[in-house]
Amino acid sequence: MILEGILVRAVQMSTPLLLGSLGEVIVERTGVMNMAIEGIFLLGAWAGFTGAYITGSLAAGFLGAIAAGVVVGALYGWITVFLKQHQIVTGVALNILAAGIGIFFYRVLFGVPLLPLTVEPLRPLAVPLLSGIPILGPALFRQNILTYLAWGAMPLGWWVLFRTRTGLVLRSTGADPEAVDAAGLSVERVRFGAVLAASALSGLAGAFYSIGYLGLFSNDMIGGRGWIAFALCFLGNWNPLGALLGAVVFGVADAAAITLQTSGIRMVPNEFLIALPYMLTIAATVARKRFNVPASLGTAYFKEEK
Amino acid sequence: MTEKKREKPPLYESLTDPDGIPASLFFPALSVVLGLASAGALMLFLGHNPVAVYLDLFSFAFRDIYNIADIFAKAAPLILTGLAFAFAFQAGLFNIGAQGQFYLGAVASAACALFFPFLPSRLLLPLCAAVSMTAGGLWGSMTGYFKARFNANEFLVSMMSTYVAVAVMDFLVRSPLREAKGEYPQTDVLAEAAWIPSFLPGTRFHWGFFLALAAAGAAWILLWKTTLGFRMRAVGRNRAAARFAGIREKSVFVSVFLLSGAFAGLAGFIEVNGVQHMVVQGFNPLLGAEGIGIAVLGGAHPFGVVLSALLFGALKVGGLLVTQTSSVPSSIIAILEGFVMLYVILSFYLRHRLKLAGARKRAASGGKEP
Repeated sequence: MILEGILVRAVQMSTPLLLGSLGEVIVERTGVMNMAIEGIFLLGAWAGFTGAYITGSLAAGFLGAIAAGVVVGALYGWITVFLKQHQIVTGVALNILAAGIGIFFYRVLFGVPLLPLTVEPLRPLAVPLLSGIPILGPALFRQNILTYLAWGAMPLGWWVLFRTRTGLVLRSTGADPEAVDAAGLSVERVRFGAVLAASALSGLAGAFYSIGYLGLFSNDMIGGRGWIAFALCFLGNWNPLGALLGAVVFGVADAAAITLQTSGIRMVPNEFLIALPYMLTIAATVARKRFNVPASLGTAYFKEEK
Repeated sequence: MTEKKREKPPLYESLTDPDGIPASLFFPALSVVLGLASAGALMLFLGHNPVAVYLDLFSFAFRDIYNIADIFAKAAPLILTGLAFAFAFQAGLFNIGAQGQFYLGAVASAACALFFPFLPSRLLLPLCAAVSMTAGGLWGSMTGYFKARFNANEFLVSMMSTYVAVAVMDFLVRSPLREAKGEYPQTDVLAEAAWIPSFLPGTRFHWGFFLALAAAGAAWILLWKTTLGFRMRAVGRNRAAARFAGIREKSVFVSVFLLSGAFAGLAGFIEVNGVQHMVVQGFNPLLGAEGIGIAVLGGAHPFGVVLSALLFGALKVGGLLVTQTSSVPSSIIAILEGFVMLYVILSFYLRHRLKLAGARKRAASGGKEP
């Protein structure tokens, strides 16, 4: 029972990590890091909750979260891609700003409620027959729509990146922007578009925490999980399938921590379980030997100089 | 050289010269004003008049000697977390983990004071300071070591290490260091011998502020007057060139993170022994992030960091009173910081464009300027 519970929750908890890391893989392949990801996760969670609470429709919530992600992404892309300012410094500023704005407007809209406001989160959709398989059935075939979508998006992302012309352009922009420029394409536009796409995915990922899973919004609900999605892009070697593998490992760690905490089993301090995903990230960052870093990652492209 | 000394530059040029002192004061000041305006615009959503709120804020901050003294008390740890980021930034490295280094420094300092309550003040205080710097420094140097040894991404490692440090602190104050009453996750109050003496009696302004100032001075001397500092800045400017010049960048990574973590750890000593006199789970959760904002606003220069920290200290004192006495939520302070950082970044772009325009103008007029 505990094993089944952990598996179901692991597949569920991997959903936002999949969406966020897929976006990160796409954008980093073009040479830009989406450093605003933690703030976009939190703002996505806020916008998703707000949209769903006000309209009573989860779909509206998810659309709102995507829109919030795109707005932050547009600001980040404008400053880093077009104005060519430092990606990490800009990201840090936007993360602080986005977190403050989400919490501020929660207060503006809802005041200080005595009990946290809630919405009904996404319901699981069971696939007939398959969900009856013992242990694996519920984990893989009794999940909500966003989880199915996230798992499907990874192979699709791989196919787009490595098997289509669009993917070739994306990868070339990160590896050899001069060549893309020489081919008559705008490096800046490709990068800006990728930032927007990645931010939309991250906004959606953030909303999973508020309306896909818990049904409420709180200030500390992301708690660094945006950074874990960011790390998965590195650990997955800038490949959606690698990120998928990593997200499963982290989903299991997260799920095991939550399950063991709530089941009352005390083998190690709770804090150890809470810290486990972060320690795993550090260990994996350290252990990763061969990197396939996009050559121009983190550097602005100046057309006139080359 | 027969060329006569250039006349005093007109205001416009001195402001737009990216390396000049006026520009390095004018643009941050402009960013603060724009940040205040933007955060003020958001207050309109709450039906507040931002001008009135800001007048309140500054009149609260400077209302009486107690509040003015509090600005210095608030600025002291901010100077140190600001230095932690700025110091690494000068070497081209990103220490995003100051919050975790601060927490471990705080817990270590409290533990030291609780274990040796019988020591006299003059021994206990330096010991606590040394222990907090060691704890923060060692925790920070782990990031540097992983970067040097395994080429790990220092941004990610320092970021993740903060969440681990928070868990370590939570565990320590929940279990081994928990107060004797066992009621809340916090330590006992430290013995008075472990309190940093007050500078202005009756206020929270304690000598720790001058320790932070000394740390800023030490950072400046280290960076600009020593060989180690030269190596650090060389690595920051151009890693490849530094390598060709024979600088061992790996040892630079470790020493930068060791020192940077020691600054943040010392902030723990200053806050625990100077103001809180105990450790409460999850106290001052934004100190690390605020340090980043302060370092960016201060141009990553130790003296700029001191000035920005004093400004942030004033905003915090006034902001806290405003959020306590009106319905403006305290997240407005984070929004303000975010906007200010954003405008500083945009001003980098503006300064770059103005410099280019100035150079073109000189070139077009056939000036002899290079």
